[in-house]
Amino acid sequence: MIVPLPHILVVSAGLFAIGLFGALTRRNAIGILMSIELILNSANLNLIAFNRYWGTSNGAGQVTALLVIGIAASGAVVGLALILAIFRHRQTISADEIKLLKG
Amino acid sequence: MHEFVGPLECAAKAAFYVVAAVTLAGAVMAVSARNLFRAALGLALCLFGVAALYFFLEAEFLAVTQLLVYVGAILTLIIFGVMLTARIADPTVARWNKQAGWAGGLALVLGLGLASILLKTSWPAAPSRGGSPPVQLATLGRTLISTYLLPFELLSILLLGALIGAIVVARKEKT
Repeated sequence: MIVPLPHILVVSAGLFAIGLFGALTRRNAIGILMSIELILNSANLNLIAFNRYWGTSNGAGQVTALLVIGIAASGAVVGLALILAIFRHRQTISADEIKLLKG
Repeated sequence: MHEFVGPLECAAKAAFYVVAAVTLAGAVMAVSARNLFRAALGLALCLFGVAALYFFLEAEFLAVTQLLVYVGAILTLIIFGVMLTARIADPTVARWNKQAGWAGGLALVLGLGLASILLKTSWPAAPSRGGSPPVQLATLGRTLISTYLLPFELLSILLLGALIGAIVVARKEKT
């Protein structure tokens, strides 16, 4: 193996922190969706790194990462459909202006 | 794995750090660009970088899947979404909401804290010097349809549900 494991985990932690910041602060709903994809990617990177260093021979970590990619895809599809529907109704996708349920 | 550290291994190491830096820079661009289209391009850079990191971890199939699913499908969808919703490049629209201050502090503390903990921890040595043997594609497929059959089938139902749900939610309403 080329790189020590902690360095890969630090990259993953950085991705997670950046994604968290984006998900908390983006005004645009599509921006929030992109930040969530970043967070899922950091989780996948961890799974694959640990699988590489201490994994079992059946590649369980990589299989889990595959499942996470599938879940991320379905999440992005439904999220974008919701965003398009909201945009059609209200002509905005700013998360601050969509507050119909706020009394 | 051999003990001798040749120039090739040094070059591979340097390439890893360059790719890691590019990945993080793409991620920063994705959350900080004012223009959403530029943010999507930053996300593309980041996703390419993560796929390259998978190559460094000898997960070739995952790297190709990452390129196909993330860059090929999800990113295309996101760019469609950006183009279909207006006001993407309006400079008067703030990119971050009022939580930017404390959220930035939280993310900074979390990232730096995690990084220092990860670097200080003394990790147990890997069972063999080369780490686990690289996972063969056939092994991956066999694991997916034996041990992980239930999650696999649940995922296919989830994808079907997402497909139908997206069509129902996004179609034009006839009134």
